[in-house]
Amino acid sequence: MPPTDNQGSFLNRISIRRNQVVSMDVNHEQELEELELFQKHVSDRFLQLLPPQSPLPSSTGEETDVVDTPERLLSIAWFRKLLDVYLCCESEFKAVLIIGRDATHFSKPPLDRLLPDHLDRTVKALDICNAITHGIELIRHWQRLAQIAVDALEQRPIVEGHVRRAKRALNTLLTSMTTDDKEQNVHPGKLAERMWSISRRGGGGSAPPTVNHNRRISDNSPTIITLVSRSLSSSFTKSWSASKQIQAMCANLVAPRGGDSTGLSLPVYLMSSVLVFVMWTLVAAVPCQERVGSGTHIQLPRHLVWTHPMILLQEKIGEECKKKEKKGTVGLLAEIQVIEKVAQSLVEFAEGFEFPVGGEKADEVAAQVMELVEICRKLEVGLGPLQLQVRELFHRMVRSRAEVLDVMDVVGKINTNVLY
Amino acid sequence: MADQNIKVDQEPPSVASQDGKLHEKIDRFISALNGDDQSSPPEITESVQTFADLFDVMIVEHESGSKRWIQLEEDASSLFIESIDRTAKLLKSLSRFHSDENYAAAINRLSGVQQRAMCVLEVEFKSIMDDYQTSYDRDRKNKPDEAKRKQLSSSSSNVQETPEPELPDQSESQPVKDEFLGYSDEMSSNLNKLAQGLISGGHETECCELYLFVRRNAMEQNLKLQRFEKFSIDEMQKMQWEPIEKEVVSWMKLFKEFSTSLLPSERRLADAIFSGHTTISDRLFSNLTRIILLYFLSFAEAVMLTKRSAEKLFKFLDIYETVRDVIPEVEKLISAERLQQLKSGASLINTIIGESIFNIFIELENSIKSDATKTPVPGGAVHPLTRYTMNYLKYACEYSDTLEQVFQEHKKIDGESQNQSNYGSQLARIMDLLDANLEAKSRLYKDPSLSLIFMMNNGRYILQKTKGTGEMRSLLGDPWVRKQSSDLRNYHTSYKRETWTRLLQCLSHEGLSVNGKVMKPVLKERFKSFNAMFDDIHKTQTTWVVSDEQLQSELRVSISAIVIPAYRSFMGRFSQVFTPGRQTEKYIKYQPEDIETCIEELFDGNTGQSKKR
Repeated sequence: MPPTDNQGSFLNRISIRRNQVVSMDVNHEQELEELELFQKHVSDRFLQLLPPQSPLPSSTGEETDVVDTPERLLSIAWFRKLLDVYLCCESEFKAVLIIGRDATHFSKPPLDRLLPDHLDRTVKALDICNAITHGIELIRHWQRLAQIAVDALEQRPIVEGHVRRAKRALNTLLTSMTTDDKEQNVHPGKLAERMWSISRRGGGGSAPPTVNHNRRISDNSPTIITLVSRSLSSSFTKSWSASKQIQAMCANLVAPRGGDSTGLSLPVYLMSSVLVFVMWTLVAAVPCQERVGSGTHIQLPRHLVWTHPMILLQEKIGEECKKKEKKGTVGLLAEIQVIEKVAQSLVEFAEGFEFPVGGEKADEVAAQVMELVEICRKLEVGLGPLQLQVRELFHRMVRSRAEVLDVMDVVGKINTNVLY
Repeated sequence: MADQNIKVDQEPPSVASQDGKLHEKIDRFISALNGDDQSSPPEITESVQTFADLFDVMIVEHESGSKRWIQLEEDASSLFIESIDRTAKLLKSLSRFHSDENYAAAINRLSGVQQRAMCVLEVEFKSIMDDYQTSYDRDRKNKPDEAKRKQLSSSSSNVQETPEPELPDQSESQPVKDEFLGYSDEMSSNLNKLAQGLISGGHETECCELYLFVRRNAMEQNLKLQRFEKFSIDEMQKMQWEPIEKEVVSWMKLFKEFSTSLLPSERRLADAIFSGHTTISDRLFSNLTRIILLYFLSFAEAVMLTKRSAEKLFKFLDIYETVRDVIPEVEKLISAERLQQLKSGASLINTIIGESIFNIFIELENSIKSDATKTPVPGGAVHPLTRYTMNYLKYACEYSDTLEQVFQEHKKIDGESQNQSNYGSQLARIMDLLDANLEAKSRLYKDPSLSLIFMMNNGRYILQKTKGTGEMRSLLGDPWVRKQSSDLRNYHTSYKRETWTRLLQCLSHEGLSVNGKVMKPVLKERFKSFNAMFDDIHKTQTTWVVSDEQLQSELRVSISAIVIPAYRSFMGRFSQVFTPGRQTEKYIKYQPEDIETCIEELFDGNTGQSKKR
């Protein structure tokens, strides 16, 4: 599925290029109906993202995807669905906003302010998409490290060599995960250096080498191979921060009040909210530059149909956030959390490893390795498409922005600019 | 530096000193284990323990830092790798009987040793990988030892315990040009050996991660040293165009260098280190390329998303061309499928930038169309709009092939453009619009002669600029040039008629004589009005501007050509009518030579008193 399909732009359909704005008169009732429908669609789509045990009854009851096992909240599969939802909403939004509209509305209040604000949010979202792309690259690195542990610990019997190898990989993985979160201002090279500290054996360099048969693994925490998170996720200049961008996107995001002349401020508000929601969720889940403290909540009013499922989702994700905060580590992506949990427990096992491993212990390890295998498989299958989808989102936003700008340009510009 | 005196050979080589006997024993044991007899495991020989211990010692030497791979003799490093291979075989054979307690213990012990040996390989691989000096450093400092020293003290060598012994005379004698990407042949062959060891020992993933990490850091470091900034799209929105323009220039340079020089070198490095493992080197190289290319493309994306304006055309074209040309360069090195995503990214950039370029032209059209400045340019000189437009187009025409491509692509996307099929017709349309606009501006002058001078000036300017730019000349074509020239001739003719025909009427011989007798009062009137009219023309038209020298002299010549002969003949015929002296002086103000001088002063743009510009 190629992310760009040049399926002709909206420009063609409304032909604005030569200063002519086709203004079909959509009658008011039809307009209202269209808006109503748009909101309902958005609401339905977000309902599908809620975990099944959610108390909210479906608004219509005509949902048929009981067959579809609902994806775990914040898993890769869930995100793929979320991004799909975004893309659908976006298409419909553009249709509502542009097609058949009298484009002169765009240059009048309140759209003359709302649209630029929305476009500004889009720009920030584009940066976030780029940061997420880098973040996914980092998760790939983690996946490879986890795979090392899997390869090592799948072998029987469980012996020192394998445990040692797995431990190194998992330690690197865990260090990378925490570093990503905490060491925000460390220069990548420096960090690499620090993490690549080769702690020679406790004996010290000067002592003559001795053969030590009973060396415990923990005496000798050897090289951490590390690919460093910091440089992976630093997609922009140092000052850039995902959480600040999210905050900035939330600014001025308020539901329209009273009767406004065009009725278009609602869909613009809706789309902005969806955009911010999606970006907020991505930043919360995927490692990216300066994502800590992205706890910002989008203030959504409760009286609108479509905000309901979004508010519920936000609450659920907020709970996850709180759970995580105590442990204070990586993003909320379900797969990463599992990896982290399993990695910690396997490292613990490795720390206390003594040969031979009893049957019960071995079974326990085997179960955890199985869990890791499953996650690695999910990442293997899911990360590529997710990355493509993020890219598609990027492309779509770029296109839409260009289209909206063009419309605004044409109607807004009474060409008085002197060139020379 | 303290380690400078370490001599590798001095230390008694513990394992190397053992003759092959131990190894033979181990190998025999391995084949015994692999024998058909499955019933009961043979006794584990003493030699297995000895082998493990000796290998352990060898590893400890590396772990403690007292031995470094790069200093090892050929056979010592081979022995190390060999020991790993032997251990791997031994482990594999032993594992057949792993349920036996003794076997399990032996496996445990050997696997631990083996793992540490692999660690040593990893550490050594990483440390040699780290020991590059960036080409940037090398280029800047032609003194290799100085660069080396700087590099050692900088962060790239992370193993601080034992800085690589520096041998200044040696590094000076070593020709730097033998290295690529900062790796000497010796380094790359060692890396190759280590990589082989890691891969055959099952540590392919670790090895690849290390490689990717170091090379990626190296490339990023290189970008950083060359001041490549990773602007976010949001930041770029808020920046002024001028600094962005500068960034674009250096981006172009870096991007081209990256694709034509750095990438091929990276490819060769990956191929050299992972020789025999094409899949691995392919994957590593394309991952690396993907990551770095993403930075370059992100920059272009950020620029393309800035607000469109006419001044950005040229840099947009630069970006368009760079992206268009670089991708095929990269494609030479990577299989197309691995590049899929990047290609779609690049194509998005060029679609958007292409659209911007197209729209810049539409906007140029619109602004020419709507330029309605009401103040006429003094003296009928070339209008700033003309200058701006022509100079703009002149620069644009340096990109005419690319513009043609952009317009063709746009035509494909935008179905509605019928006549605006290509850049050539776009250009012609702009010229027409400019012409129409100038025509309207010429009407701002009250004096029709001045309007004509204005049209001539501007027309001439347009024609000259066009002829001076080969691309523009050929795009607009001969008919356009012919039309433009004939318009100019018409303006010229009209001007002569407008200004000079009335004056020439004063010099008409008709109506001056009745029955062969010159009527003096009429003649007096004629001279008087000629003088007044000529004075007036002279006074006004010396303030007019024709800055094109050729046009100026053409005008003067053609004016002289009609005025002077007529005046001469008029004088010749009638001057003697007056009484020489006072009367002659009163009516004959100008000698023909004076007229000529005055004509030479026209169109000088002289205002007020000052005669000289």
